[in-house]
Amino acid sequence: MAQATGQTRSRDNDVRYQTLRNTALVGAVFSAIFTVLLVMNLVGSAVLGPRRETRLAAMKLQIQKEPRNQQLLSDIRRLDLKIRRDRIWRLDFANKATFMLLGSVVVLLVAGRIAGNLKKDLPRPQQQPDIGEMQIEEAKRARWAVAGGVVVLVAAGLLVGMSGWVRFVQAQDAGPAFASAEEMRQQWPRFRGPGGAGVSAYTNIPMRWNGKTGEGILWESRVPLPGRNSPVVWKDRVFLSGADPNGRQVYCLDAAKGQLLWTGSVPTVPLPQGKEFKLMEDTGYAPSTMATDGRRVYAIFPTGDVTAFDFQGRRLWHKNLGLPDNSYGYASSLETYQKLVLIQFDQGDGKEGKSRFIALDGTSGQIAWETKRDTANSWTSPIVVDVAEQPQLITVAKPLVVSYNPANGAELWRAKCVGGDVAPSPICAGGFVFAIEPYSQLVAVRADGKGDVTKTHVAWHMEDSGPDICSPVSDGKYVYTLESGGLLLCINVADGKKLYEMDVKEEARASPSIVGDKLYLLDMKGVMHIAQIGPEYKEVARCELGEECFASPAFADGRIYLRGVDKLYCIGKAP
Amino acid sequence: MTRWARILVLAMTLLVPSVDALGELRFPPPEFETGYQFPQTTVPGPKAVFHEYIDSAVLLAALLLATYLILKRRSRRAIFGLMILSLLYFGFWRDGCICPIGAIQNVTLTIADNSYAIPITAGVFFILPLLFTLFVGRTFCGAVCPLGAIQDAVLLRPVAVPPWLESGLRLMAYTYLGAAVLFAAIGNSFVICRYDPFIGFFRLTGNWNILIIGTSLLLIGLFIGRPYCRFLCPYGILLRHTSRLSKWRVTITPNECVKCRLCEGACPFGAIREPTGDWPRGEYKIAKRRLALFLLLLPILVAGGGWGGYALKERLARVHPRVRTAERVFLEETGQVEGTTNASDAFRTTGRTTEELYQEATAIRGRFAVGGALLGGFLGLVAGGKLVALSVRRRRTDYEADRAGCFACGRCYQYCPKERERRKKSTVGVTGS
Repeated sequence: MAQATGQTRSRDNDVRYQTLRNTALVGAVFSAIFTVLLVMNLVGSAVLGPRRETRLAAMKLQIQKEPRNQQLLSDIRRLDLKIRRDRIWRLDFANKATFMLLGSVVVLLVAGRIAGNLKKDLPRPQQQPDIGEMQIEEAKRARWAVAGGVVVLVAAGLLVGMSGWVRFVQAQDAGPAFASAEEMRQQWPRFRGPGGAGVSAYTNIPMRWNGKTGEGILWESRVPLPGRNSPVVWKDRVFLSGADPNGRQVYCLDAAKGQLLWTGSVPTVPLPQGKEFKLMEDTGYAPSTMATDGRRVYAIFPTGDVTAFDFQGRRLWHKNLGLPDNSYGYASSLETYQKLVLIQFDQGDGKEGKSRFIALDGTSGQIAWETKRDTANSWTSPIVVDVAEQPQLITVAKPLVVSYNPANGAELWRAKCVGGDVAPSPICAGGFVFAIEPYSQLVAVRADGKGDVTKTHVAWHMEDSGPDICSPVSDGKYVYTLESGGLLLCINVADGKKLYEMDVKEEARASPSIVGDKLYLLDMKGVMHIAQIGPEYKEVARCELGEECFASPAFADGRIYLRGVDKLYCIGKAP
Repeated sequence: MTRWARILVLAMTLLVPSVDALGELRFPPPEFETGYQFPQTTVPGPKAVFHEYIDSAVLLAALLLATYLILKRRSRRAIFGLMILSLLYFGFWRDGCICPIGAIQNVTLTIADNSYAIPITAGVFFILPLLFTLFVGRTFCGAVCPLGAIQDAVLLRPVAVPPWLESGLRLMAYTYLGAAVLFAAIGNSFVICRYDPFIGFFRLTGNWNILIIGTSLLLIGLFIGRPYCRFLCPYGILLRHTSRLSKWRVTITPNECVKCRLCEGACPFGAIREPTGDWPRGEYKIAKRRLALFLLLLPILVAGGGWGGYALKERLARVHPRVRTAERVFLEETGQVEGTTNASDAFRTTGRTTEELYQEATAIRGRFAVGGALLGGFLGLVAGGKLVALSVRRRRTDYEADRAGCFACGRCYQYCPKERERRKKSTVGVTGS
């Protein structure tokens, strides 16, 4: 009877075991099916998704070039919708299938465990060896295992120790955070070169070229976005900026071949409600010339966005100074002093106290110093010059010529001697600062004063000359001014007497430059008039570029860089 | 490997991609000018405080119930049931957060940083399991911890790990504990949370690395009981040493051990200690000399570890995000690397100077000099202490659960004939009345 009961129990157990095993098997099959489906879903997302997105990105780029292509726009919308639908479907599927898979795994585990328990072997202790010896042996092995663990830890420590680490002290070894004054003099680091003088450090500059035939043109390169700012040059790189209503960019080109090395995008901030961003067409969206301290390159835009990039194209910082209150649109170019970026931020009519001069730390973008200015909005660019045995930061804006200490912004002297909407930038030559009041006069102020020097240091003013846009240029003996209508005046530095006036009969926006004993005048049609420096006008060459020019030329060793409305040209000989 | 094991291995392996599929990136909003007004971005509000109280209350209730089931009821089935409920609540329902293992870091940061206020739950979750362990052994591990539960649930074919190997492998848990404390205190990094191997399963999403680690541990866990708890869990180290002091704890037999040896293979975690045998002749003198040698070696190991940790200060400091950012920015500034990272871009928008950043990173490295030395010294102490402990012979007369290593899972009860006798009597008592 007992045997029969035992057999029945065993049969019941077998049946139960079979049932559980089959249940577990079903769980396993379902797990496998859902897993395969999920893997396929994942592969589909990983392969199809990026492929479609790449196509969409390419189409989006294309639509920027063909904004009126309705078919393309419709294709983009269709593809975008398809991508989104696919993603949502896949996410939904993954969600549901994961829960199904989890359920299957639970069934598999539960059934498997119970089935396993049904077939569990009962413990059958064997004959025990000498337990004392065994435990001593066990402890011995454990000690070795711990020793092995220590060895592994030491090895891991050595491995970690072998990885390199960065010594920040190398930063000091890398040299100062800005180029030396001597280096700066050899380059063209800002609008109109070192000190904003418009004077080339090199005399081996070409005097013959033709943009139409390609004669003397080393390379030409299309600039993606327009701008009236001038190129700046640092060794093997040329920098300039461009902008339109939709974006602002900074470009770095290879000085040797004209290849665009990198493009840096400059963000902006949304305008406050009710504010409108209006610019004169003549000003454009990128009128301010960039500046470099030899380590970083800086740019400013009429939106008040100022930014720094390193020479590899990494944006180091960006700041929005607020939309300038400027009647024609902000156009002052940047200057640098050591690692400071100097910004003349003149606004309003001068009575509201909006104008200020800002010096930013070039490495961080933080304000190094800032000073208020009693001036109206202006379009002049500041200059830093070594004069009267000290570095001076000189600015011109109605009604003042002001000199500051560029290191801390302390005012050195001021002269109340200019009026109007001032656009020509000051220059410094022969111990004088030359400032222009448009349509009115050229003023010479001695730069060795202190405090208000209006009555003591204004050496002379010459009322026949008052260019409205172009800045003057001087070799220390003669100062030349060029009116936008094309009238060139030569004035004696010592006494302010006009030596000659010459109408080049072409409109001009670019400021004149001096190379050795030659005067370079670029008119709006892109024709460079090269004349002999001296008390009489004597044209020695005339070279055509074949493209309209607004920007001032940049000079480097044996080369001229000219920016036309579309392209940047390098004039010179191949090395 | 049996067929069952093979099927399970396959199923668990294939689980990984399915979980990751849920973690797909969300896509950007449409760029077309359709006149659609984007709703204002909202963020979920802070977790209600009452949730914290509920979690703490559930933990307390679970610990009380676990203590009753483990010590009084002595029912593996009931313990397993509570374990699954804890897994569902603390694991899947509460997303595996907060847990006492991660709470180590909150407590550490509270001690190291005066400005940090520890959340109530973190404090409760850290202290309650320790308190219970101090009195009743590791009941938290046996029936409440979701990380232990998920491993326990998948244990199908236990394979015994030799006890000597276990001693060596456990050094990993000490290292993890030391590193986690150091990084939480001065590294601005909660590594236990970041590398929680099972969080991806609890949340049904996660990154590949963690899911692969978690899946690997579960696959190992099919054969080796609770690998994370035994060889990695930093909180387990605290519980081990607290449990040594516990007044009450799991006993295999409800009354007396008859040395039947039926329980020898009952514990899948190798936590059953057999009675000690006789001391072999001549061994005593050798053991004394060995113990003296290891006692002398102990301070050398501590000093050596301390020096090693100090020497690694710059490398260890890389755990701190500020140091990593400083190094990256420096490499970018000096042109040693191309491109930028999100961290370096973000730094540059702060307006701080690189010099300030480098100075801060250098100061953090200085803190790691002290912290690294302490970590190294701690590991030297652990290794030396283990060598000393393994050279000391303890006397045991019965089969008993290891004071430190027993997870209080209750598997061993049913193997004891005395326990079966007790159960039979209590059943008869109940039916007889």
